[in-house]
This record gives sequence, structure tokens and C-alpha cells, in this order.
Amino acid sequence: MYIVEVSSGDKHEVLVLPVEESDYKQLTKTRFYFAWKAEVAYEVYKLLLIRTGEVLGLVSLERIPEEWRVHIRLLSVSKENAGKHKKYDRVAGNLIAHASKIAVRSYAELACVSLKPKSHIAQHYIDQYGMRRTGMTLSLEVPEILDLISYYSHD
Amino acid sequence: MTNKKNKKYDEDVEFGVDSRYASSKEYDSEAASLMEARLNRMKKLSGSQIIRARLIQLKLQMDEYLNQPVYDNRNHFSEFLKRYIDTVYSARNKFAHDINIDATKLSQVINNHREPQEEFIMKLMIHSEMVYRDICDFQKRTWYQVYYQEKICDAMSSQDEWRPKIEKEVKLSESRL
Repeated sequence: MYIVEVSSGDKHEVLVLPVEESDYKQLTKTRFYFAWKAEVAYEVYKLLLIRTGEVLGLVSLERIPEEWRVHIRLLSVSKENAGKHKKYDRVAGNLIAHASKIAVRSYAELACVSLKPKSHIAQHYIDQYGMRRTGMTLSLEVPEILDLISYYSHD
Repeated sequence: MTNKKNKKYDEDVEFGVDSRYASSKEYDSEAASLMEARLNRMKKLSGSQIIRARLIQLKLQMDEYLNQPVYDNRNHFSEFLKRYIDTVYSARNKFAHDINIDATKLSQVINNHREPQEEFIMKLMIHSEMVYRDICDFQKRTWYQVYYQEKICDAMSSQDEWRPKIEKEVKLSESRL
């Protein structure tokens, strides 16, 4: 998995790992927008830039096995990677791909990743990641979820 | 101040998303309609889309086994092999034919009555390259790694059984440390 440095186009390898108790101190609301410590009961993952060990993004997930679904509760890129002047691209995409891998690994053709963004940003997730809209919820399913995994898994 | 700050974030779609359901009522309602829509879409999946999903699932599960070894009594290599063959073929003897091995020998490997020979794993590696070529990245070394990972896990987890006997045969009569 890699992210792209916007200024140079250089690719940098990243890893997605579970957040550990000791990480929460540095996962501040100032840098990551939400109170991540409140998500401790869920599966929280960090996207790590291997070269520096820097955390660039976070996602918290809820597995819903009875619906073959993984729901993204919170997703955030670090402050310097949001907006027009962001340093790295593909941070959010890699985190969504990670959730997709968990879903497909568990449920194969039944797999689903869901998200419930505010209505005015939903279109971005539909255009960018091939999500479908049902009510307020967006979902990634087969075949789009497989395409997303392949796209973000290539070196 | 807070409202202004939130507005700024809302306008930037890539900063992230707060996707938590506001109430269990909202969750229940959304879940029911999502499931209904999904079931309708699932009915339209083609056979090749289902096979592709199962092959990617298998690859992800093999990767997980390699990243987080499991010390148990299961035969992971043969279980993965069985699923691989049953996903790609309608009959196991067709796979045996395609990699030019005896169907009985294949059955013995699948049922853990015979160790896979190195040539078998080589053929499996090449076969997987062909199958996964247009599906996803599948590392050549994966089958080898799964096979040896299982050997390591078995040896480490069954030390109580083999160690007392083997230990008697090992000594250090000279040490230049």
C-alpha cells in the first residue's frame, strides 16, 4: 500500500495497523478532528507512513456479522493531509480499502462496507470510491469493493 | 467559533467523516432498507463475480495467516488448497489433470494423508499465477510460505510431544564460546 506525496508525485509505503492504548495520547482532536479515545470499544486502525512512523489517518470500524457488513464509524485524515494544500494523497482511500479487506476476508461475495456521511459530502464518496446510496447510508459491495481492494493494493 | 470551524471541515470532504448512527431507531431503519437493497443486488451477481470475491477472500485469509500465525491443530495448507480448487473447478480431478498429477495423490494431500512434494507446490504456484493474474496481486511465494508457516507452528506448538525424546539425542560436548 502506498500514498502519494502531492508536491513531488513520489510514492511512499504505508501500513494500516491497530491503534494501541499508548497511541491515543497523540491522536488529538486538533490533528484528527474527533475524540478518538471514545472509540476504544471499537476496532480503530491507524495509517502509518513507514519511512517516518508518522500517523496520517485513522478509521474506527464496527463489524456487523449478521449483516455481513463492516460499518465505518469514524474516518479522518490528519490535519495536514486535508484540503487543497494536503501533503499526501490516498490516505482516506487506503483506510476504506482496509475496511473493505476485512469485509471481503470475512464475507466474500456477501461483503459490504458502509458509511453514513452528511448528505452534501455523500456524492464525493460515490464518485471517488464507487459507493451506492440507500437512504442515508452509502455502501460498497461486490464488484466495486473488489475493484477498490485491487486498486489500493497495487505497489 | 465552533460552528465556523465545523463548517470549514464540512466543506472539505476528504478530512473524514462522522458516520455514527444517531440512535438505534435510525440504525434499525437504515439497516433494514440497506439489507433489502443489497439482497436484490446480490441476486444479480454473476458466477465470475462470485468466484472473484471468493478468490480474493482466500488470498486475504492466507495473508492473514502469514501475518498472524495460528498455533493450532488445523491443517491450514490443505484447507486453503481445498478451497482454492473447489472455487476454481467443478471437480477436483480436473485440477489434478491440469497440473499433471494423479487424482488419488491430490486427494491424499487434500485429506492430509500425504505431504505435498516440492514439485506439487511449484505447480500450484504457477497455477495460482494464472488464476490470479487478472484478479489481484498474489505473491508467488504464498503457498510455500503457508506450507512452511504451518510446519513451524506445528513444531512450536507440539514441543511437549516431541521434545522429551529429541532432547535426549542432542548434546553440546564441546563449546568454543
